Amino acid sequence: MADLNIQTTRFQLPGGIEPEMHKACSTETPLEQLDTPKHLYFPVHYSGGGRGESLVHVGQRVSRGTPIIQTDSGVVHCASRGGQIVCVEPRAVLHASNDISDTIVIETDERLDQDYLEPLSWPWTREILIQRALDAGIIGLGGAGFPSHQKWGAQHTLVINAAECEPYLTADDLLMRVDAHSIVRGACLLARTFEIQRIVIGIEDNKSHALDALTTAIQSARSDCHFEIVVLPTRYPSGGERQLIWLTLGEEIQSGQRPSQHGILVHNPGTLAALSRAVDGKPITDRIVTLTGDQMRSPKNVLAPIGTPLTELLAAGHTDLEHISSLVIGGPFMGFEVMHHDVGMTKTTNCVLVRDPMPLPIEPCIRCGACAEACPVNLQPQLLLNALESQALERASHEGLADCIECAACNVVCPSHIPLAQWFRHGRARLQADTEAQQRADAARLRFTSRTERLERLAKEQEARRTARRAQSVDALARVRQAREGNPS
Amino acid sequence: MMQRLRPQSTSAVMYTVLIALCPGAVVSMWVYGMGVLFNMLIATVSAWGFEALCLRLRGRPILPRLSDHSALLTGWLLALSLPQAAPWWLVVAGVGCAIVLGKHLYGGLGHNPVNPAMLAYALLLVSAPVSMTTLWVDPLNPPEITLAWSAFLGIAPDGYTSATVLDLYRTEFIGLTQPEMQNHPLLAQSVFGVAAGTEWVALAYFAGGLGLLACRVITWHIPVGFLGSLLLLSALFAIDPDTATPPLTHLLAGASLFAAFFILTDPVSGATSPRGRLWFAIGVGCLTYLIRTFGQYPDAIAFAVLLMNFAVPMIDHYTRPRIVGRDASVRGSGGLS
Repeated sequence: MADLNIQTTRFQLPGGIEPEMHKACSTETPLEQLDTPKHLYFPVHYSGGGRGESLVHVGQRVSRGTPIIQTDSGVVHCASRGGQIVCVEPRAVLHASNDISDTIVIETDERLDQDYLEPLSWPWTREILIQRALDAGIIGLGGAGFPSHQKWGAQHTLVINAAECEPYLTADDLLMRVDAHSIVRGACLLARTFEIQRIVIGIEDNKSHALDALTTAIQSARSDCHFEIVVLPTRYPSGGERQLIWLTLGEEIQSGQRPSQHGILVHNPGTLAALSRAVDGKPITDRIVTLTGDQMRSPKNVLAPIGTPLTELLAAGHTDLEHISSLVIGGPFMGFEVMHHDVGMTKTTNCVLVRDPMPLPIEPCIRCGACAEACPVNLQPQLLLNALESQALERASHEGLADCIECAACNVVCPSHIPLAQWFRHGRARLQADTEAQQRADAARLRFTSRTERLERLAKEQEARRTARRAQSVDALARVRQAREGNPS
Repeated sequence: MMQRLRPQSTSAVMYTVLIALCPGAVVSMWVYGMGVLFNMLIATVSAWGFEALCLRLRGRPILPRLSDHSALLTGWLLALSLPQAAPWWLVVAGVGCAIVLGKHLYGGLGHNPVNPAMLAYALLLVSAPVSMTTLWVDPLNPPEITLAWSAFLGIAPDGYTSATVLDLYRTEFIGLTQPEMQNHPLLAQSVFGVAAGTEWVALAYFAGGLGLLACRVITWHIPVGFLGSLLLLSALFAIDPDTATPPLTHLLAGASLFAAFFILTDPVSGATSPRGRLWFAIGVGCLTYLIRTFGQYPDAIAFAVLLMNFAVPMIDHYTRPRIVGRDASVRGSGGLS
């Protein structure tokens, strides 16, 4: 039995907001397994883990679990159901960029064959677990889709981000209710492999069912790991990575640094549950998606195969495209609006939110400071906006643009309805592009100067050799002359 | 809960401030007569007129901007700051200055560097000093409605105006002792011994201001900083009651409470961080005391506010809170861009 300690956080979030949560509507009905759709879509490049490469060819038959995409980061994505590869064609992707990518289309069939990995048996090395995470296609399931293994290393603390602080989202909540055992097991496996001493779960106080389930799972776990559960007040954005670390551990991550540099590893519960299944040989083939929003006729959570088309997800919520005004993937604050609806869900699709956003007219900023009060990192969004509006990227950067976590709490409280977070997102992208351009320019300059130096050095050496040779020949000539004079034959 | 209490749009913010002004305005009418109402009405009409004109000249949509109530608020604030027996042209000229020079020349709502109402007040004070100093209604002898109307038209005989209490301390009370001052009818008939009538107007504004605090339209920083520094300075110098204006008079006799909650709290021209607002308000409080004590003007709020408005960019630069994850707060402007 694992050791457990439950407490309420002693720390407070600077700023933050308490919006209406709209969570109850999608948790009233039990989790539903979605039927296998006719077609599944797997974008080669935007499935998570960087740019990818197709491992299959058209006409090939794949089983559930067959590797189909190999990405730059080493993560392998597998087919979520068995079927025939009918084509690999450019299609829109379900990503904030609304980009186009080569997409593998699988036409599913009735066969239920599986192509799973061998189960691992303890003891295993760190390298073996990392390899398993790659083969099972494990990426952060919280939303960013960062390859999980890249975070693993010399850490002492694992923080499980069970806050799920954004309104409408309940996918993590449901996962904890139905499969807390896998989460706890995944955490224990990870902790044991990487010698992590401390496991802390941060959970908001509006998820009492999930909290109970976690407690039971921890108490019945056959492990000697010590768990701490820190209950957080329901306040957005307590589930931001840095915010959660502050609320659970009381540690402030330095601006520009990553939690892993402080020995802290943060994982979404879904990622840990997936890791636990991966050890048993099962790659990620399904995930829980919240179907919700005021225009979703029957809001609920479904367990859907990766690659399921959005239209199928809407159909599961008894809603169709004609009756919705906007479709957002993710929460209302940090999610992105979908332009093309004929796309498949990915591993990071946690929520399909359909509602009437009712945009309010944007008015001029009156510097009321409501945004600064809501900002969880103490920025002055009104000054940042002023800088970005006047194209002064340098000033915006000075005001702390890089520290913005894009939580959009400022948007919610702004009485002038200014889309501040969009300004900041755009500004941050430009800042990043500028920084990269600067780095490239610096590298080019360095190359140029070192080349010039090298050429100069070579020229000098050549010159030196030439002088030496000349001196030698002069010497030799002198000697010959001397010899001739000394021996007048 | 508190978040839902806060007004959800700019126009709602302005609307809340207008409502919070009402107690003070009503008590003002009761104390000084209907001249206050006439001023507010002509200010309303001219504020809408000038705003619409400017928006039209600038080629901006008129109705959405008019309905945000910001011009109306500027008009009311100015009307309530002006002498109660002011003629109509003074109010119209003032509102014109506030809307055209104070607001639209800089780009309209959200872009004015100084408080438009105070800019207009200061302009009127230097360009029409007689009207601005001699037309204050005597609260012990407020004019009837017909008299107030002729005053509004600028054709009334004299006899219903008097020096304000702040003026008395600077002119007539020089050389008098404290008990002698108390014999002046304005002080003798006052409940708090400060200024008959005027003190009730100030307290009504205070009540409205508390409402703004409750609705979270404003924070405590500005009222506390301003009133605190003003009281502290006047208390320090009130050791000799025969020469100094008492702290309570500073608080209740002039426009202090009105300004603390309604003038200094203009977010556009004021400092923006809580700490910055505190310093801004302390600055206005100190300047107000200095100008009232050593200056030549009947009240000092307008000039004090304008001076501190100019200091706002600097205050903003030095009072940002520490960004989470940084060792110290960001200072300075970071380049001149």
